[in-house]
Amino acid sequence: MSAQTNYDVIIVGSGIAGSIMAYQLGMAGKKVLILEAGQEVPVDRSGYMETFFKANAKTPESPYPPTTQNPAVSTAYNPLGLPDPAKENVPRYTVLQIGAWRNPKQCYFDYTPQPEHLKPDSPEAKFAFASSYERIGGGTTWHWLGTSLHLLPNDFELQTQYKQGVDWPGGKQFYQALVPYYEQATNEIGVAGDKEAMDELYRGFNVSPDGVYGANYDYPMPGIVSSLVDQQYEQAVSDMVYDKIKLSVTPTPQGRNSLPGERRQCAGNTNCIPICPIQAKYDATVTLGRALQTGNVDVFYRHVATNVQVDENTKDVVGIDYVTYQTHGGVATGGGTVTAKKYVIAAHAIETPKLLLMSKRNKACPNGVANHSDQVGRNLMDHIMYLAWGLAKDPVYGFREPLSTAGIESLRDGAFRKDRAAYRIEIGNEGWQWAANDPFTTLADFVFGQNNSQLNGDSVNQQGISLRFDPAMPANSSLFGASLVSTLNGIYTRQIRMGYLIEQLPDPENRVELSETLTDNLGLPRPKLTYQVREDYVRNAFVSAKDISTKLFDALGAREYTKAPSAPVFYGDKREVTSNNFEYQGNNFTFYGAGHIVGTYRMGDCRDTSVVNPRQQSWDHSNLFLVGSGVFPTVATGNPTLTLAALAFQAADHVLADLKAS
Amino acid sequence: MTDITGATADTMNNFIGLSAVLTGFATSIIAPTLDPVDIKSEYLPVFTQKITEESKDPTLVTTILQKYAALKAQQLSDQQIGTQMLAPDNGTNFVLACRKLIFMWYSGAWPTIIPATNKDPETTVSDMISAKSYTTGLVWQVMQAHPMGDSNYRYGYWAKAPAALSAYTGHQGGAV
Ligand SMILES: Cc1cc2nc3c(=O)[nH]c(=O)nc-3n(C[C@H](O)[C@H](O)[C@H](O)COP(=O)(O)OP(=O)(O)OC[C@H]3O[C@@H](n4cnc5c(N)ncnc54)[C@H](O)[C@@H]3O)c2cc1C
Ligand code: SF4
Repeated sequence: MSAQTNYDVIIVGSGIAGSIMAYQLGMAGKKVLILEAGQEVPVDRSGYMETFFKANAKTPESPYPPTTQNPAVSTAYNPLGLPDPAKENVPRYTVLQIGAWRNPKQCYFDYTPQPEHLKPDSPEAKFAFASSYERIGGGTTWHWLGTSLHLLPNDFELQTQYKQGVDWPGGKQFYQALVPYYEQATNEIGVAGDKEAMDELYRGFNVSPDGVYGANYDYPMPGIVSSLVDQQYEQAVSDMVYDKIKLSVTPTPQGRNSLPGERRQCAGNTNCIPICPIQAKYDATVTLGRALQTGNVDVFYRHVATNVQVDENTKDVVGIDYVTYQTHGGVATGGGTVTAKKYVIAAHAIETPKLLLMSKRNKACPNGVANHSDQVGRNLMDHIMYLAWGLAKDPVYGFREPLSTAGIESLRDGAFRKDRAAYRIEIGNEGWQWAANDPFTTLADFVFGQNNSQLNGDSVNQQGISLRFDPAMPANSSLFGASLVSTLNGIYTRQIRMGYLIEQLPDPENRVELSETLTDNLGLPRPKLTYQVREDYVRNAFVSAKDISTKLFDALGAREYTKAPSAPVFYGDKREVTSNNFEYQGNNFTFYGAGHIVGTYRMGDCRDTSVVNPRQQSWDHSNLFLVGSGVFPTVATGNPTLTLAALAFQAADHVLADLKAS
Repeated sequence: MTDITGATADTMNNFIGLSAVLTGFATSIIAPTLDPVDIKSEYLPVFTQKITEESKDPTLVTTILQKYAALKAQQLSDQQIGTQMLAPDNGTNFVLACRKLIFMWYSGAWPTIIPATNKDPETTVSDMISAKSYTTGLVWQVMQAHPMGDSNYRYGYWAKAPAALSAYTGHQGGAV
């Protein structure tokens, strides 16, 4: 491809962050080039849908290339048939790789070894990172859920208010500056939200709604109709107080159409993760399309950025090197360098630090680009999740609506936050799909007489209550006909699940580095991760989540089925080691990922302790901007994308101002 | 009459009848009169091939379907037919084949049972047969919903309880 060289701005990555930047800059008449490592946005999504339908494991990544699972290569050592990341040009980490985290032939990430002599509750225990991302045109929002909450002002002042973690630069003032950009972001995503319900929530936190939205702001679409599941919680929760806070259920603002518009109205396909078949759910291809329509934006797909060139004297970025390929496992087909006035890296919070660290060949930056502070790749965070599941007293008929339409947001802030991490509670509408791989686990149990769901045997829950679905049936029943129908129906229509998004603290030891030994098919180093949950502060939130779950199930009159995880195994056969299990205060816990990859090129007001300044501009290279959730100083208490989108709008203004000034 | 897979119309009819009895769904759902999806024609060859391979008994599928036909001819109830088809004295492979048939109809996938070890209990893994089989899986019907990723419903329908279970199973009056 003969590259034009007169671009104003080069952006690496066509996810929501990169696409918003491109759209804003393109609208302002700037010439923009996006380098995108992944393949093109398909003309329609039927190919991805077909792959999804056929996939054995319907994980978030299952519809997308390269394939997550190839049953043909399945062996005793690789039962899931995971492809070898060394043979892929744009590998990414997938949920199926988590269980194989110590096996580099199956897992894209390299991991630092466990320290010796760990006890089950040692804070130094290392875990598999639990969240994934995509490397395709449009990026990871292809499989996001769409939850679009504003963060809370106190989220920006965790240190000032609670003596934990760090503040965002400027604290609440930062929030105030972001308000108009939040408005742009909700409009761009087309968030469907119930403003009154949100106002009530904010009043509970002593925050004036105007300070969150700006005066007279409302969501571009009315809130999504709540589910029968939500309604059960609303009734049950309204009398509950926990940690001195009155609980309530709040409908979730979400990036899916509640009205027909440019895209279709949500039809309840209950498939937002991994893929909305009708694009009722927003994804970044929407913004990418708008960017391309400005006529000022080019996108080069299958162009993998490999190096950021820095001028030794001026310290300015002077080009981005890339490699091209045609097929996922094929050889590199070419390469080159593109140049512009300003550069933006928007490759998300694992690949962005990887690219910066890879760029250490520059004489001026032996530790990698933008890394004078040595903070690039550090402070990796996610919302680590506690899952709880149960059977409601009466049918609630899940599996029919968006995967989640409401949450208990009341515990996102409060005085408890000095002692334990805050969380929001997502109410699931997808039965035990996530929790227990249903409907298939329960099905197999009652067809073959197994008991992996705990519904068909002698299991008791953590409160000692018998879990057999029908006490009149013997354990390990194998059913057929009418009794199979009524049993499965009775179970599936009552399944409920809660997910706790627990705020992890920034820990400089949790980090992305470059693997010294592992590469992908293009010969590029793979990320090497270290991931721990060291603080009692965060572990305390698991104890709290477990406790409140039991109380919530009680209030619902539901029976709790949350399975106690097995004890952690840190050493031995790599197929036997656990990935996310830990012991704390005598209980075994496991954690799941929320997909919220955050913190690896943190923003701050000091050049020695942060990678970008509050303008999201590298402290070291003034024409380099880093966008996406990697800039978050803390992971905060809301899902990150609305905030990273707002920040991208803000960064676009800064780039425009700088272009004007130069 | 023989179709391209070598199955006779009788074979298919018995396959449909047996599938209905074992799954608890009416033949009008298993094999509707107007059947553009025609999943039964995908399942019969898969069932035949897999069971023959796994049991190493080339006559097992015929034996199963003939037994069903014989029971049907005695005008027994669905409950009686099912009980007799799954009776242990038919032999392990025979019963397991019938159970796998149920799993296939419900999930659209072909199951493999992983025996218990001293650490883990018995579990089931499965291979999705096709895109079509995923969306026609009866699990989505038995939960009064729709296949995840393939809804024919309209916005907001989830705020109301779904139609009665009988509308999904095809068996009227609540009894299946
Ligand atoms: C299962 C799941 C559910 C989620 N649900 C929610 C939710 O409900 N709400 C919410 O707020 N967030 C959610 N998220 C998080 C959300 O998906 C991310 O925050 C968001 O997609 C990040 O956008 P981004 O543009 O920064 O990165 P991405 O969307 O990941 O885009 C980065 C782009 O960079 C490209 N790239 C990478 N490396 C290179 C390279 N070397 N050269 C060129 N291009 C490169 C990639 O191919 C990709 O297209 C979820 C995530 C997951 C996994
Ligand atoms: S519920 Fe279905 S239609 Fe609605 S956004 Fe999710 S996948 Fe799309």
